[in-house]
Amino acid sequence: MNDSQIALSALTPGFTDPVHDTQAVFRTLLDALSRPGTVGVVVAALPAAGGTATSGAAGTRSNVDLAAFASLLTLCDYSTPVWLAQPDAVLGSSLRFHTGAPLVANAHEAAFAYIHDADTLPPLATFALGEAEAPEHSATLLIRVDALTGGTPVALRGPGIERTTTIAPLGLPKRFWAERAELAPLFPCGIDCYLVSGDALIGLPRTTHVEVN
Amino acid sequence: MSVSPASPSPAMRRAWMAVLARTPRAELEAAFNRALDGIAAPAFDWLRPPETGLAMVRGRIGGTGDAFNLGEATVTRATLRLREPGGNAPVGVACHLGRDRRRAELAALADALLQVPEQHPGLHAQLIEPLAARIAAQRTARQQDAAATRVEFFTMVRGD
Repeated sequence: MNDSQIALSALTPGFTDPVHDTQAVFRTLLDALSRPGTVGVVVAALPAAGGTATSGAAGTRSNVDLAAFASLLTLCDYSTPVWLAQPDAVLGSSLRFHTGAPLVANAHEAAFAYIHDADTLPPLATFALGEAEAPEHSATLLIRVDALTGGTPVALRGPGIERTTTIAPLGLPKRFWAERAELAPLFPCGIDCYLVSGDALIGLPRTTHVEVN
Repeated sequence: MSVSPASPSPAMRRAWMAVLARTPRAELEAAFNRALDGIAAPAFDWLRPPETGLAMVRGRIGGTGDAFNLGEATVTRATLRLREPGGNAPVGVACHLGRDRRRAELAALADALLQVPEQHPGLHAQLIEPLAARIAAQRTARQQDAAATRVEFFTMVRGD
């Protein structure tokens, strides 16, 4: 996977202004994680892939995971291995080209993981949880859901939330909440998640307690 | 790399990219304008706009020792894709020493156009060949200058 040549003709362009766009996206990601449950919108100036010579399919795909692509462009570099749940030549090549991040075949080695379809999410324990001495060596998941509203409501409590807040992501399997609750006693180890859909995302840090109604 | 079946071999592409990387901006611009005489500059999209950064230059003494870090060099690189219908638009890549963004843009554009089969012969004859000849002449002149100062060291064999 690592040694394969980057498919230059399939690349999607990155940020038009890398310095300021990554700063803006990073602020969105930080705010989303420090206020769990609030919806952050990535207002990144990513050139529309549909307008270029790439096929129409690549263009539509790029709009569907705009927030995920912008987040990965912002967060990844050569030292953060990325795991993609489904091999995606366009996304994988673009990430390697723009960020230099290596793609790994083993979910456990990844610092960032992108799951195209929440139904195919592997058990959360397969990802790196960090260690007691180095809890920052854990994975951050970007999970694409059908929509951030309209699903089964769940109540969130914890740091960054004054009392409780309710989110209702659509298309997230129920086992996700159970698996997440099982990891809670391991704190400070754990996994931080972003639920992404289109250009919007919700942060779910490891400190947030979730009550499924 | 990913163009049509008639795409040039990697060795050819390497050769013209090496020429482009060694040509100063003024010469590149002049030669490019001459080569594109009358034709509008083609439209393209940036995959990576020209950016300046540092690259570590590594050396090896005598070709046998271990590689060591010699120092950092300022490089500018750019990648663009010609705007063409169909999924196989040529991608031009440029990387050279220094911080001249316009030069990277010209070199990347020339690299992309050289991969287009219809444009290749004319562009190669008007752009690459004169520049390659000039680089070769400069190199020969430097070699001759250096050869004139060459000192042969030898030891007389003593005794019988």
